[in-house]
Amino acid sequence: MKLFLSGNEAIAFGLLEAGVRFISGYPGTPSSEVLPAAVKLAKQFKIDGYFNWAVNEKVAFEETTAASIANIPVAFVAKQVGLNVAMDPYMNTALVGSDGGLVVVVADDPGPHSSQTEQDSRFMAYFAKIPVLEPSTPKEAYLFAKKALNLSRQYKIPVMIRTTTRVSHSKEDIEVGRLSNYTIKAQFNKNTDRYAATPHFRYLLHKQLNEKIEKIKNNEFEIKTYFSGKKLIITSGISFAYLYDIITEYKLTDKLTIAKIDMPYPLNEETLHRLTDKFEEVIIIEEGYPVIELQFRKECKGREDGTVPKEGELTIDVIKSILQKLSIMPEEKSSKLIKPPFKRPSLCPGCGHRTAFYAIKQVFKDDAIYTGDIGCYTLGLNLKAVDTVHCMGASVSFGFGFQKAFGLSNIKKPVVATIGDSTFFHSGITPLIDAVHNNSPFIVVILDNSTVAMTGNQPTPTNTYNEDGSKATPVLIENIVKAIGVDFLKICDAYDFDCMEKALLEAKDYIENYSSPAVLIFRHPCIYTTEGLKNNPRFKRVFVDEQLCKGCKICIENFECPSLIFNGSVVEIDTTTCINCGQCVVSCPFDAIKVEK
Amino acid sequence: MKLVIIGVGGMGAISLSKTIAQMAINKNLSVKSSEIHGIAKKGGLVEVQMKIDEGLSGVVLQKEADIVILLEDLYFQYAKAFLNKNGILITLTKEEKESIKKEFGDIKFANSFILGRFIKKQSIFDKLDAVEVLKNIKFSEKNLKAFERGIG
Ligand code: SF4
Ligand code: SF4
Repeated sequence: MKLFLSGNEAIAFGLLEAGVRFISGYPGTPSSEVLPAAVKLAKQFKIDGYFNWAVNEKVAFEETTAASIANIPVAFVAKQVGLNVAMDPYMNTALVGSDGGLVVVVADDPGPHSSQTEQDSRFMAYFAKIPVLEPSTPKEAYLFAKKALNLSRQYKIPVMIRTTTRVSHSKEDIEVGRLSNYTIKAQFNKNTDRYAATPHFRYLLHKQLNEKIEKIKNNEFEIKTYFSGKKLIITSGISFAYLYDIITEYKLTDKLTIAKIDMPYPLNEETLHRLTDKFEEVIIIEEGYPVIELQFRKECKGREDGTVPKEGELTIDVIKSILQKLSIMPEEKSSKLIKPPFKRPSLCPGCGHRTAFYAIKQVFKDDAIYTGDIGCYTLGLNLKAVDTVHCMGASVSFGFGFQKAFGLSNIKKPVVATIGDSTFFHSGITPLIDAVHNNSPFIVVILDNSTVAMTGNQPTPTNTYNEDGSKATPVLIENIVKAIGVDFLKICDAYDFDCMEKALLEAKDYIENYSSPAVLIFRHPCIYTTEGLKNNPRFKRVFVDEQLCKGCKICIENFECPSLIFNGSVVEIDTTTCINCGQCVVSCPFDAIKVEK
Repeated sequence: MKLVIIGVGGMGAISLSKTIAQMAINKNLSVKSSEIHGIAKKGGLVEVQMKIDEGLSGVVLQKEADIVILLEDLYFQYAKAFLNKNGILITLTKEEKESIKKEFGDIKFANSFILGRFIKKQSIFDKLDAVEVLKNIKFSEKNLKAFERGIG
């Protein structure tokens, strides 16, 4: 059977085909599609298993590790910064090893396109001493997923698949195998020296890990060579596919030889040196950090000497320019790239977050410090109601840090943190505990749209179902907030400006007079989902009265709904994108935005 | 063949690429695509680059494409930049779009119309290859009709 699959779908298929029956993770671009694809396949082929999101990556990694120790083939899925969150169990699982087979799927984001860093997870494999496979195409992603599970089972070691945005989000025709159900048999062989190792036994585990890596290096490392030129390029991942295309397209087959490495760690440098000694020049082109280059330990051109740029995505254009600089292919007459017309990313028309940010901004103007977080609502930037975005949950800890810093200086500075529902569950709860415990008066606004909107509307712990559709018990944010000991808690619909304004003013008053945080929950379902849009309150028509509009653009500047468009003299509403929610009405000081019921 | 499809979110650029990919698979030709989306969810640029029966990556560079299908006029200059010397741009006029919307009730059927145009402009696929795939998708009757219209 041939299917047209994306890299992420291909990984899901490969994992299930190899026998994986437990997948956990946390959504994050570009990794988010792996788990939903597994759910879809499991349904379609009636495969038993557990395929659901965890509250964060650390929890997901621990869950998968345990299931692997119970002898079930498992996989963990996250984006590169998600693996950072799971670092603690991840490092330890490498040492303890896996039983049923454990595949660590990590999607990196060189560019970056939608991440805070360009970090290379292959280094995390190196760091933890686990093998990493790096697919160049969706087809390889499928094959390597199967290979990773088999390697993991054979050597009882977690195996990483490192993909990147381009591999995860490209599609290819792939000849796939058969998916069939089997009876899952969990089993646990107690062994405290391993599973509850005291420091005394840890170095023994480390020794075993080193032995496994040595074996894998000797038995599993291979280099594939292509073409027959005098200069050698060592490469891996998507860069191989790009190089292959350039060489065939520009007929450079007798100028270059390509050595492709599927497993960049552990690298067998002897095998590699035996090959490279035959060439007059060695160039290493790999996307991310110099992982192969540093293990190569011999003279070569690459990242270290500046031949390959040290930052940014290694696009096919960048690789071409590297080959041109090295005089391997002729310089092209400078041809400027045409860029598509720029459109600033913006919250969707009618998004409840926008009204929430607008209310916050109306109450606090430019007086407050606004700590933001990761999710759609990062775009509160456009409303100038977000000053910092660091990592998951940092809005709350940053709020705490800023409040204390200004408190120490005896400066009264209101701090307003904004965080989404899923991000609150992921990493916002622990800093809130700190804020209560250490008496820190600032405002935390939880923007609750009951979904992980940014990455494709995955369910959150407040939902009554999880990814696989099965019934789940909703966990209520307000109960958590109360249980932590927050005294000031108000909840409003994010479409109710008056409620939010009042709550914000009260919260402001509260943090001026008390020494603990005030929490507000502004709740409105994401309208990007069919369900959310269908149930959203709407007017028959929302329009701008041309006679009343002064063309001041105050609505556009302060409210910034993309459906509000300045036509040169007045503002108009773009009816093709407007959802008639009427939220923009409050933003016009001249009452020019009208609604028809 | 190197092909680029350019549209905005929700217009069906991706479904169109899937239809063409399925046509290639049915003929046992290799097919790869590479998708690029902006961060803006609604109305943002969606670009699908495709290689059929060639290459290892799905990436198509500017000045390389044999055919560019443009679904959103805003990106006319950008779309043109992808064409090679003999490249062909396929797009719809406003009138055509409106008449499709009127006749079929949804602008999405423009994709099958434009697939008809595409079939006429290249030599890898013929009419039956497309019909074979359209037969099996949602609203196949309407899609087939729109497709026939596009073939002219
Ligand atoms: S996807 Fe949902 S939460 Fe994100 S901007 Fe759109 S409406 Fe708002
Ligand atoms: S009614 Fe106003 S706020 Fe709502 S989508 Fe239309 S223009 Fe945007």
